[in-house]
Amino acid sequence: MPKDLQVGSRKACGWLVVALALLAPPAGAQAVRVGAWVDAVVAVEEPSDAAAVRRLEAQDLHAWFSSTANPEIANRVRESRTLRFTTSLGLVNELTFNPVGPVFPGTDRLNPFAVGRIREALNWLVDRRHIAQEIMGGMGVPRWLPINTAFPDYARLADVARRLEIRYRHNPERARSVITEEMQKLGATLVGGRWQFRGRPVTITFLIRVEDERRQIGDYVASLLEQVGFEVERRYGRAADLNPLWIVQDPAEGRWHIYTGGWISTVISRDQAGNFDFFYTKRGLARPLWQAYRPSPEFDRLSDRLGKRDFRSVQERNRLMARALELALQDSVRVWLVERQAVWPWRAELELVSDLAGGLSGSFLWPYTVRLRGRSGGAVRIGLPSILPEPWNPIGGSNWIFDTTLYRATQDYPLIPNPHTGLPEPQRIERVEITVKQGLPVTKSSDWVTLRFAPTIRVPEDAIIGWDSRAQRFVKVREKHPQGLEALVKSTVTFERDLFRKVQWHDGNRLSLGDILLGWILTFERADEHSPLFDRSYLPTFQSFVETFRGFRIVSEDPLVVEYYTTSWTMDAELMTAAGSFWPLYGFGPGPWHTVALGIRAEAAGRAAFTAAKATEKKVERLNYVAGPTLAILDRELDAARAENYIPFERALTRWIKPEEARQRWRLLAAWRSGRGHYWVGMGPFLLQRVSPVEKIVELRRFGRFPDPATKWLRFGAPRLASVSVVGPRQVRAGSEAVFELRITEDGRPYPPQDLQEVKYLLFDAREELVLQGRVQPSREGWRVVLSPEVTARLRPGSNRLEVVVVSKAVSIPSFGSATFTSLPGR
Amino acid sequence: MAPAVAGRVSRAHQHPAVRVLLYALSRLLALGAAVVVGVYLTILVANMGGYVDQIKRAEIREQVALSVSVNEQMRQLPSEVRERLIEEMIRNEEHRLGLDRPFLARSVSYLKDALLLRLGFAERMTSDVGSRLVRQIILDRLPATLLLFLSAQLLLFFTSVAAALALSRRYGSLPDRLVVALAPTSAAPAWFYGIFLILIFAAGLRWLPFGGMVDAPPPEGKLAYALSVLRHIVLPLASLTLSSIFLSVYAWRTFFLIFSSEDYVELARAKGLPGRLVERRYILRPALPTLVTSFALGLIGAWTGAIVLETVFNWPGLGRALYQAVALYDTPVIVGSTILYAYLLAATVFALDIVYAVVDPRVKVGLEADR
Repeated sequence: MPKDLQVGSRKACGWLVVALALLAPPAGAQAVRVGAWVDAVVAVEEPSDAAAVRRLEAQDLHAWFSSTANPEIANRVRESRTLRFTTSLGLVNELTFNPVGPVFPGTDRLNPFAVGRIREALNWLVDRRHIAQEIMGGMGVPRWLPINTAFPDYARLADVARRLEIRYRHNPERARSVITEEMQKLGATLVGGRWQFRGRPVTITFLIRVEDERRQIGDYVASLLEQVGFEVERRYGRAADLNPLWIVQDPAEGRWHIYTGGWISTVISRDQAGNFDFFYTKRGLARPLWQAYRPSPEFDRLSDRLGKRDFRSVQERNRLMARALELALQDSVRVWLVERQAVWPWRAELELVSDLAGGLSGSFLWPYTVRLRGRSGGAVRIGLPSILPEPWNPIGGSNWIFDTTLYRATQDYPLIPNPHTGLPEPQRIERVEITVKQGLPVTKSSDWVTLRFAPTIRVPEDAIIGWDSRAQRFVKVREKHPQGLEALVKSTVTFERDLFRKVQWHDGNRLSLGDILLGWILTFERADEHSPLFDRSYLPTFQSFVETFRGFRIVSEDPLVVEYYTTSWTMDAELMTAAGSFWPLYGFGPGPWHTVALGIRAEAAGRAAFTAAKATEKKVERLNYVAGPTLAILDRELDAARAENYIPFERALTRWIKPEEARQRWRLLAAWRSGRGHYWVGMGPFLLQRVSPVEKIVELRRFGRFPDPATKWLRFGAPRLASVSVVGPRQVRAGSEAVFELRITEDGRPYPPQDLQEVKYLLFDAREELVLQGRVQPSREGWRVVLSPEVTARLRPGSNRLEVVVVSKAVSIPSFGSATFTSLPGR
Repeated sequence: MAPAVAGRVSRAHQHPAVRVLLYALSRLLALGAAVVVGVYLTILVANMGGYVDQIKRAEIREQVALSVSVNEQMRQLPSEVRERLIEEMIRNEEHRLGLDRPFLARSVSYLKDALLLRLGFAERMTSDVGSRLVRQIILDRLPATLLLFLSAQLLLFFTSVAAALALSRRYGSLPDRLVVALAPTSAAPAWFYGIFLILIFAAGLRWLPFGGMVDAPPPEGKLAYALSVLRHIVLPLASLTLSSIFLSVYAWRTFFLIFSSEDYVELARAKGLPGRLVERRYILRPALPTLVTSFALGLIGAWTGAIVLETVFNWPGLGRALYQAVALYDTPVIVGSTILYAYLLAATVFALDIVYAVVDPRVKVGLEADR
């Protein structure tokens, strides 16, 4: 054999061995796939819902990470054999009233909506089911109350909600009668079917937004107002046209009466008690409209108490909430109309977990669960309405929802919110002990949380409460508060034992305490006017944080155990863990200390800035870690950092970041930059492979060294909504017992009783008044509501309705069922 | 009257080069004034005479209200603390957008910066690569815009002129009548054809992509990338061409027919000159100023892109970027693109004045032109 060939053959064998070694899975790991199920996700821009559905049908996309509220397109998705979908409720439409008056100052113009009873009457005048079914083509859910129907508060107060919904259901005659009575009290007269005031027609100026269904809703409500005798001047416009009128100008100027408002929630909020204070009182916002609100003293007091969480138990809170809901409907400066049901489509061969409030784009679990049915591997193509409209950097980068969706795949969390209840689930922590000051109505639902109560919670003297920017050292509680400091909540978080050994950054570096502590330094440093990193736009966020922050302490470095002290509390202990404060995630993406340090150097040198506000102020570019001109700036900083083996805030961090670690970090980052072309380094199940900013394409690749098996989050599928049917007698004679069987099922199978929070019933008589309510307990016969002879004896002859409310532990949306029966006189 | 006559007489004795120079200067001054007026009007219109400040202030307040409504931490704060923070957030954003300066002062700054081509930073937009520089916002989109619209313009211009010339020779023939009959199809915009082409070739036959500029993920090699762009440009290019070709051919063919019936053309034909020579020398040459004007203005027209077509095909063009700038009231971007277009237009018009004189001997500059 010629020598050259021999050499070539040996080289080839060598390469083959290396290749085989690289390709072969480590022993014992063959069966366990870690991280993501698919090998790659390719994200492209697709702004149109109609085009997205066509592309899904043509197999050009696997999923569209946005929703459609267009009934025709939604129906097409629902009827398609090749597509699947999920729905979410998050956007709500309402009527905002101008409450000034009854006569606008300095004018002769009457404002009927200054009168609470007329606003309240609008609840009867408007047919919410018509809006949901006819105007929105079934893409809406009627809503009466200032709490979301898909969130836990609604489930907690489902019986109260149901009662109020029935009290305020469509009743145009009642509305007309109340309006007539109140208009006459105001001195208005009905002439030829039109209301007149001081000899002139009463004209309502109605600001109608045109971007969505609010145009049709506005027209519908306007026509109802015309039917009850008002002249309506419809002023159509987009946000830019109408915002100056309703949110900027003083409502006393009388330039509008009603506005079609809209609000959105993209995450499940587990506590909406503050909604009354925000939406109905002048404490809500310092805008002229809010300052014109005049709630009744009782409602104002209740809203304030609920806003401040001034209650001692869950029961007390529920009582306050129930009364506040009732008063909110009486006040009605906002009449809530409908929640928009959005449909999120994907192909049938794809499986992934969506969020009840945020759908696919708001889902934290999509990167962990996205997979092609029945197999692992493969590439998935997803469409998003718009991507990369802003630079990506972890501290002040893009907060565009669809960018968030993508970079969420590159980050990991200590806790991940349950997509169906909003309660966190542990991802990188073992347990949390929460100690709460006695008297606070806090409860827990998870076994990884221990909840204790203490008469006082003193913050230890050696806890860290601040940062001395000049001396570059943490400030302890004993220095700032020599007299001592108390908190309302102490959270002790124990992270996984092997945290620092198993969690790796995408560039190959391992997680270290330096990653976590740099975040804490920046928390204070960016608010210090003497620091080159000072950012004025960050101050409100910082000030809001220090209002409640009382210190933290590292109890153990490895395993990592930390204590966090605060005066901020929530009713769910799980939401007070503060584990996120000890995780290298910033507001806008993952931040290992070495990539953040490059940005710090660039900002400190005045070459670029993290936030848009500071970039504008300093007339420099905003840092972009994935593309654009700031990559060159970061390149220069990397060269310099590597040359000097830079450690940020060295005096403080050198204890946790050793020179060897720094050297390794810079070396691996340089390799990452030359290999991938960007500086976006995360630790999530996907790494950012390539960004094509002009073409608007983002490629994510599975991160093969992710520590968890791919199966970890598969337990979440579709939301486990219960179906309820109530079966009972059609006629009940007064004085006899009546038994109603409840069938509570999930996909046709009985719903496990241990997964149900509670089952409640409400009995309404023929006048629609609540006669009886109570809880249903499971028995050997199943779920049954038994109406005793005493109860049926109290029912007047006529049609009665038994409403059943089922609240599950697995999903925050309650389910309803009902049965009607006729009560007959006793023998 | 006498001084004026004297002036005329003295100008009549000026050297031709001086006359050309004076003419050029006067044209430049006129064009410069038009640019200043046009750009300032754009600033005024884009800002609705300053009313946009109110809109922006309202937007800031609405955004802050929405962000506070979903921010649990903010909502838990005492109301007076929350109000203070909210006011600070609003103040910061107003300062960032320059709303703490009167609009009139800002409008003069906008104009001055624009005329000096100091395009500066955008207020709200960022370029595709994440830069806030107006220059970068335009530059990011320029290659894709020029690729599509310049290709379309070139294709359309040369195809229609060639076809029109051919048809003008066969007046009344079947192809001629067909073009006349199909001319009204240009009433439909390019995006309308785009939707149909997508339905047929992407959704139905699946021969071509739905949109975008390149495959996802983009091919690694340059050649593969270019081929992928070629595949993606077919449908938008076809839409642009389909929407204009028949009307364009019809218009040029009518134009050439008018020239073809001139006496000197008839005379040339009667003299027995070859058809090609007649076409080139007696029809095309006098038509040249119009052809050049149409071509030049068509080329700079490609600069602005087309909003709806780009949206239908997800084409990363300038049209969408400028539409976004208008929607966001991002004055620096609107002014930046306007001033570039204005300078380009002014330069083209100025150049055309000179080109006319070169290509058409009938055009005279200065005094002779006055006569």
